[in-house]
Amino acid sequence: MGHHTNDGPITESLEDYLETIYELIRDKQVARVKDIAKIRGVRMASVSPAMHRLRDLGLIVYNQREFIQLTPKGEQVARKVIAHHEILRRFLRDFLHVDKKIAERDACQIEHHISDQTIDRLVRFFEFMDTCPLGNQVQEMFKNCSEVNPELPACQEECARYDAQTRLEHEQESSLLSELEPGEKGKILHIKALGALRQRLIDMGLLPQTLVEVERVAPSGDPIWLKVRGFNISLRKQEANGILVERQATA
Amino acid sequence: MAAEKAVDKKIKIALAGNPNCGKTSLFNALTGTHQRVGNYPGITVEKKEGRYRDGELEVEVIDLPGTYSLSSYSPEERIARRELLRDDIDVVVVVADSTNLERNLYLLVQVMELGANPVLALNMSDEAHGGGQRLDVDLMSMLLGFPIVETVGHKGGGAKLLREAIRRAHAAPTHGERFSFGPQLERTVMRLAEKLAPQLPQPSPPPRWLAVKLLERDDELSQWLREKVSDNAAVFAEVEKEIEELEKFSRTDIILFIADNRYSFISGLLREARISEMRADSRATSDFVDSILCNRIVGLPIFFAAMYVLFWLTFTVGEWPMRWIESFFGYLGEAIGGLWPVGSESPLRSLLVDGVLAGVGGVLVFLPNIILLFFGLALMEDSGYMSRAAFLVDRFMHRFGLHGKSFVPMLTGFGCTVPGIMATRTLENERDRLTTMLVLPLMSCGARLPIYMLLIPAFFASRWQAPMLFLIYMTGIMLAVLLARLLRSTLLAGEDAPFVMELPPYRLPTLRAVAIKMGQRSWSYVRKAGTIILAISILMWVATSFPRAPERSIEREPVLAHEDDVSRDLSYSLAGRMGKLLEPLTTMMGSDYRIATAMLGAFAAKEVFVAQLGIVFSLGEADENSTTLRETLRRHYTPLQAFAMMLFLLVATPCMATVAIMRKESGSWKWALLQFFGLTTIGWLLSVAVYQIGRLVIG
Repeated sequence: MGHHTNDGPITESLEDYLETIYELIRDKQVARVKDIAKIRGVRMASVSPAMHRLRDLGLIVYNQREFIQLTPKGEQVARKVIAHHEILRRFLRDFLHVDKKIAERDACQIEHHISDQTIDRLVRFFEFMDTCPLGNQVQEMFKNCSEVNPELPACQEECARYDAQTRLEHEQESSLLSELEPGEKGKILHIKALGALRQRLIDMGLLPQTLVEVERVAPSGDPIWLKVRGFNISLRKQEANGILVERQATA
Repeated sequence: MAAEKAVDKKIKIALAGNPNCGKTSLFNALTGTHQRVGNYPGITVEKKEGRYRDGELEVEVIDLPGTYSLSSYSPEERIARRELLRDDIDVVVVVADSTNLERNLYLLVQVMELGANPVLALNMSDEAHGGGQRLDVDLMSMLLGFPIVETVGHKGGGAKLLREAIRRAHAAPTHGERFSFGPQLERTVMRLAEKLAPQLPQPSPPPRWLAVKLLERDDELSQWLREKVSDNAAVFAEVEKEIEELEKFSRTDIILFIADNRYSFISGLLREARISEMRADSRATSDFVDSILCNRIVGLPIFFAAMYVLFWLTFTVGEWPMRWIESFFGYLGEAIGGLWPVGSESPLRSLLVDGVLAGVGGVLVFLPNIILLFFGLALMEDSGYMSRAAFLVDRFMHRFGLHGKSFVPMLTGFGCTVPGIMATRTLENERDRLTTMLVLPLMSCGARLPIYMLLIPAFFASRWQAPMLFLIYMTGIMLAVLLARLLRSTLLAGEDAPFVMELPPYRLPTLRAVAIKMGQRSWSYVRKAGTIILAISILMWVATSFPRAPERSIEREPVLAHEDDVSRDLSYSLAGRMGKLLEPLTTMMGSDYRIATAMLGAFAAKEVFVAQLGIVFSLGEADENSTTLRETLRRHYTPLQAFAMMLFLLVATPCMATVAIMRKESGSWKWALLQFFGLTTIGWLLSVAVYQIGRLVIG
């Protein structure tokens, strides 16, 4: 989707020029026609008309023989194009494992046409893959199996094996929340407690994957004091027995 | 919807929110002094209502109990949602602590699920701003579809905006349309709701909400469905099938899955509307204070020091105004008595002076103590220290089936049982609270001290006096502990309510909030004195004054050579006769009808026992330092009998003020009477056992 200004659409090639100007200013503080031509691999004579067009669209400030500057609107468009480029490149390279050169080239092509919604969803997808604890593992598994590299073992098997292994690890690594010492952190794996206690814990936001830290214990060692989601709660050891956690490395 | 006249519109709104979200101070800011505090019938949950005027709108405000959720596990939650389901609630103000939005919005989401017409008050917004949080309130309001205002409850900030928002929400109601679960759950809920809708009787909760609650296997609503819907077996089968599907899909259990859906909605909302988050160190000051006050080593000593200061304030500083009130009632008594000629036997004079003034005055005299104590307790609660105290002593209290928060009320009980029972309001859980209230009279109160001060020196050598007093107090404590355990395994049996307790950051209590809380509780005490205690005082007076002895009566007690009129009157009176009637019972614990009569007086107030003893032994005015009374007693009774007496007075017959406050705070006569007769029976059994066994041992 091209960007529309009062004077009509900005073509792909104009967007590319804007991108280049932006990068030049960012990296070298100045953008000259000579440098632009060099980077884009064209003759200087073909740069000038594009500059005039960009100036007419109110995207750059350009007087012959002088440095080129971006207007606020120009900067905005440039930034957007660059952001799109980055997102697409990351998606192609890091998630789909497309070859580096192809990823770069495809990103350059798609960046001009992609809709805001798709870009937004892609960003959310990255965020999700980052925050979801399984995200990294899924990425890793995808990379290391036949879908990307036919020589590696089939993905289905890999997934099944991983599933069994993590279950085993969880069972070994998990400890009761009550076993954590003051200062220790843990990630909730499972709420074993039932009934009213279970409901209360869930209502207060102690869900699986939540991080908890044992802040202190009462003078007699019970109850314990937890930091969860930025607030403090206390619960009896007996109640903390109903929560399985995975110990986290403490700083 | 309540819409009667075009000119004067009455609407009803409810305030919902988590505990510690500043809901009460916002309630105060909205309604000012137009408040009514009571109990929901039959239970210990406090009911607060108020009202305010906004132009032509007459707004009635119901302050719901603080809850984290609308499930049906606690009485507070059940009440909150029952109130929210009333169809005459026009607007629901959900009060959220802005510094802790994720968890606080969880309740909002449930209010939206319920189809209520919400307004969101982002309370404590000053603290959130200070901590670095910025919210795009307009965007948030647009996304949720109803008005949202930032408020600072304890400073009254935003109250005007909130009223305005309530007005807007009333004019253009929404019903949580903007909330939806994730696609999978949403589809299931819609499907279930559609199936349910045609089968439901009228009135009934919204089908969609019912569907969610059935998926959560909510006890109360499942029960409701069983009673109200004929074809419920099919519905339950359907629900179970859906649960199975969802659990298979989510690979977790249904409760977690639904909660997760709600939290996802909240985090999505905040991702859009929150410009910057709270800084991680925004609670550094509060955390630092906690590192000292809740320290494993110095935490408890600091707590005990704080308790000492509280009780010093209550009983030492309270001493002065107490004397003023005493002398005021003394003066009033004389003034009223002076209306009759000297030596008048007018029953009206006696009723006013000896009945009404003595009874009500005897209760009101503790008002300064009460006010000071409630002032201290309100400070502890509003600053956030009360929950820390509970954290520090919970282990100890829990061993006896009590809660950490029972500690302060129990300690208060050593001063006076009545404020102790009122102080149990800090306990959120009904069972914990009832247990604490029921055993509280065993904490030997200040009014029992005169009895011990009279009897112990009369019967025990001076080196045994202190250990004796200690023994009595310890007996009370041990009994309380045993009884609490007994109650928790019989009448109040059941799983411990979750202790899971929030420890809100320390906040500077505002004078206004503390004053209102203190005022309401003190007033509730005064009102007791004016109503039920007044009534019992008159009854007691009648019992001790009527019927009057004829001018000349048969000497029943030749031992007492100079029995005077007063004593004769008493023994002839209803109380005296009752005393004689009860003599067989008191004989078993070593006492006679005179003690029984005096014990009846102790029901009015424990210390009255001393004065009554003076009367039955015809010594006129008597107090705990009276040596003649001590000598008389020594002639009549043995140390063992005296000990049995003290034991009985410690355990049995909580005073009338206790019975009255118990009725009020527990919400029913059931508990008040159970306490009265239960403790009296235990006290009697114990005294009899001690006396009879003691007699065998001593020979």
